[in-house]
Amino acid sequence: MKQKVIVIGGGIIGTSVAYYLSKKDVEVTLFEAKDIAAGTTSSCDRAIMLQSKKPGPTLELALQSAKMYTTLELELEADLEYQKGGGMILIENEHELNVMTEMVKQQNQAGLNVSIINGGHAREINPLLSKNIIASTWWSEDAEINPMSTAFAFVKAAQRRNAKIKLNDEVQALLIEKNRVVGIKANKENYYADNIVVCTGVWTKKVLETIEIDVPIIPRKGEILVTERLPRVLDCNILSGSYIAAKLQKGNDNPYGIGLAIGQTKSGSLLIGGSREFVGFDHSTNSKVIREIAKRAIQVFPFLKHVHLIRTFSGFRPFTPDNLPILSEVPEVAGLFIAAGHEGDGIALAPITGKLMAEMICEQKTDFEMKPFSIERFTKNNC
Amino acid sequence: MNKVIVCRCEGVYFDEIVNAINDGATSVQGIKRRCRVGMGYCQGRTCQPVIRDLLISMVGSNSIEQIQRTQSPIRPVLLRDL
Repeated sequence: MKQKVIVIGGGIIGTSVAYYLSKKDVEVTLFEAKDIAAGTTSSCDRAIMLQSKKPGPTLELALQSAKMYTTLELELEADLEYQKGGGMILIENEHELNVMTEMVKQQNQAGLNVSIINGGHAREINPLLSKNIIASTWWSEDAEINPMSTAFAFVKAAQRRNAKIKLNDEVQALLIEKNRVVGIKANKENYYADNIVVCTGVWTKKVLETIEIDVPIIPRKGEILVTERLPRVLDCNILSGSYIAAKLQKGNDNPYGIGLAIGQTKSGSLLIGGSREFVGFDHSTNSKVIREIAKRAIQVFPFLKHVHLIRTFSGFRPFTPDNLPILSEVPEVAGLFIAAGHEGDGIALAPITGKLMAEMICEQKTDFEMKPFSIERFTKNNC
Repeated sequence: MNKVIVCRCEGVYFDEIVNAINDGATSVQGIKRRCRVGMGYCQGRTCQPVIRDLLISMVGSNSIEQIQRTQSPIRPVLLRDL
């Protein structure tokens, strides 16, 4: 009999896991409480940016994932709006220059060919940049993708390999027998499987609470501005030096965790982010935060003064205390796996997450060192 | 009928909306994510009732959310005027 696996969650992580499982000799069913890409995947930006990652396990995952993205459109037979336009982190003063010089040194050691270019060179790449930008980092390998299209394409490709997708089907309970997961209950019906993978991002804590397993993933809200459609003004990802500081949680003078991140969608809208705040599941956007992001965007791109804002949105990033995702079997419950907690790296890490989880579940091993992503790193500290 | 534009801001045709519902969308949000309907300059203020009616006629009226979430700003505003 074929191995049966149930994936819980239809975001970019769950759909990726379902797709890579469907490539193995496995019967896959994905359960999604609402709809494909209905949570974090439809409320984030589109960057696959490597130079914003801290050198270490995340960057190693991201490098492999980025390589997978280069051929993913062919593999999934879908337009994912993939574009490798490069990326820059803008430098506005001497202090940022020192910080970024140090970071670039570390990245070069980690094998990332990032360089620091002067303001003039940065304006050659992006002529609309402000004269106040004194320098910038540059890496030609940073890319972008449409996260929603990617999740839908994973689903379609998995379905072609006979995976079943159940929408509006919320999992109410995990079925456990003798320390082993044997299935789930959804819509008052029991579904049995050999393995369950929980890919529910910020909602993972809630799912695992039902069997008294604590997962330290909490929502971190990010707000993003959407402009009217513009002609092509930007081919690369733009971050500000303060974005990196906010990501690494340095300094207390930035309560909303504001750091600039700008990209242009295929339709022509600019996505301008963002913020990082711990406010539970409060979905509202804060006019103070929106105004501050707009102000900073105008500082680096003065032409934005004359551009209309048409929408704002917020999304919840699945934050873990050590900024690493959980890609792990649950030691107390045989057969149960978690792939969640990617915070702002979920888009970049989706393909490699799906591939590694499929290997862990079907072959019980991977070529990648998975220890940094084990859930045991949290439980052991509590002893 | 299939080539009637329903969402002018994003240029979305009637049949693209029908396809989105056939693909499993059961909410205005779900249709939006599949074909960009209501994502443009007017933010679905014109086309949303049409989409809602179509959704109800195709999947029936039930407890699933059928209304697009209101997102600020209420009308487009220049970034410098915020």
